[in-house]
Amino acid sequence: MSTPHRPAPPPLPPVPPVSGPGSPQEVPPLPGTFPVDPATLPDAIREEIEAPDPVALDTAAAELKDGLNRCPKCGATDIRHKPGSDVLVCLYCRNEWVGARVEEEFGLGEGLDQLRGTVIASGARAIDADVASLMTFKCTGCGAEVMVNTESTMTARCHWCRHVFGVNEQIANGAVPDAVLPFRIKKDDAVARIRQFVDKRRLFALKAFKDEFSPENVVGVYLPYMIVDGNASAELAGKGEILTRTYTRGTDKNKKTYYDADVYQVERAVDFTVDDLPLESSRERGNLDVKVNTQNIINTILPFDTKNAVKWNASYLSGFTSEKRDTDVEQLRPRLEDQLLSIARAQVEGSVHRYDRGVRWEQERLDVHGTRWVSMYLPVWLYSYHQPGKNGGLLHYIAVNGRTGETMGSVPVQQWKLLLTALTVGTFLEGIALWIIWAGA
Amino acid sequence: MSDDNGLWLLALGPTGAAALYWAIYRYYRNTDKSHAFERETEVVAKPVTGSDRKIDEVKGTQRTRIDGDNLRAYRQRVTRIRGDDG
Repeated sequence: MSTPHRPAPPPLPPVPPVSGPGSPQEVPPLPGTFPVDPATLPDAIREEIEAPDPVALDTAAAELKDGLNRCPKCGATDIRHKPGSDVLVCLYCRNEWVGARVEEEFGLGEGLDQLRGTVIASGARAIDADVASLMTFKCTGCGAEVMVNTESTMTARCHWCRHVFGVNEQIANGAVPDAVLPFRIKKDDAVARIRQFVDKRRLFALKAFKDEFSPENVVGVYLPYMIVDGNASAELAGKGEILTRTYTRGTDKNKKTYYDADVYQVERAVDFTVDDLPLESSRERGNLDVKVNTQNIINTILPFDTKNAVKWNASYLSGFTSEKRDTDVEQLRPRLEDQLLSIARAQVEGSVHRYDRGVRWEQERLDVHGTRWVSMYLPVWLYSYHQPGKNGGLLHYIAVNGRTGETMGSVPVQQWKLLLTALTVGTFLEGIALWIIWAGA
Repeated sequence: MSDDNGLWLLALGPTGAAALYWAIYRYYRNTDKSHAFERETEVVAKPVTGSDRKIDEVKGTQRTRIDGDNLRAYRQRVTRIRGDDG
């Protein structure tokens, strides 16, 4: 079959050549290189370009990258955390071992006063929005595909050959932190503590809450935190007053006390380091507005013994749920600075005792010389109760620190009962007051 | 008490009722609780330095404390001075 002859299309207009920096013709620079010689640039720009990469601590565990955490003795993958301890136990050969403590492994407790710039551990890097939550592993035992949803869990079992997989690879979605602090308080203990907490608050508790109260439903959750070390200087300026004279004026019936005082301009400066300051790295958990939620309850059970945290290993998480980090270092920086300023204010308090009429701080300044950020999972037993109401109601928590057992909670109140009691007591007190006035008249 | 006929006693009822309501509500809901990071964080501080300069005198005030005392209100932020490098 022959094709009919067609006339050639008219020639396209000539395209002007594209060249120069940023054009498709330019060969991209190699990763880690800079297209311009930094030595030719002004000092300020050169220093910024030549500054070290912020990811200074690589905490990724290369030996666990295929998702299989093998028993160092027999090679089995069915590994569980032994409740009440930091020990991992192999369910096949009963071998027991403990993960390496990050404090020693990465030298986190040292050189705080030498901290400069921002040091970010690899698990605390900025979250890449494009990275999905579902991770798929190809089972090396049988070839099946095993999927893990990193939103809520970190381990899964192969349906076919029963290998246990854990998400150990530090993918850029913030699910895998640098370290984990295993649960030490067992569930029975947590249940007992919650029961005791509520038993002390039964009289005015919401009836529905009392009816539905079943602390056995408590859930062990690993919550994401940033553990921050910092090296900072703070300066404060304000006014302080020292009492010089007290005297009374007026007649017997109208006597009033007056004070004279010297007013001082007070200035203070302090250099300090903080070790292991915990910040909630989940947006929801970090919202401590008590008018809209009860997250302050979970905040109250801080601190944890973060010095005992072990290198990330998903086997510690089997049987527990987990929440994912959704804030980055830069988003948490204002909260850190706020807390550092508060710490500075507490530190200088002892130096202004001579101002017996108090001090009014008017200005404050903070210079953060260096920070080190480590992403960590901390263990919390959470019992929750949803109280229906306007705007979706309120979620009440009773939280138990999974390491120290410190318990704090929010118990919904039966408002009418509390109001009635308060009014009754108020009326009784008013009655006594009226009687005293009547008797004295 | 007898100086002003004890009429202030009339406030006892409303004040008592409000105080009781407030105290029990706090005990149940714990809205005032949070992590005391100022005390519970490991802080190593160098000696505090600074200066004190007398600038004024107050005569005959009835206030028992300085106006706007925030010595112990650590978390109450005041004007932040930002330096070139801070």
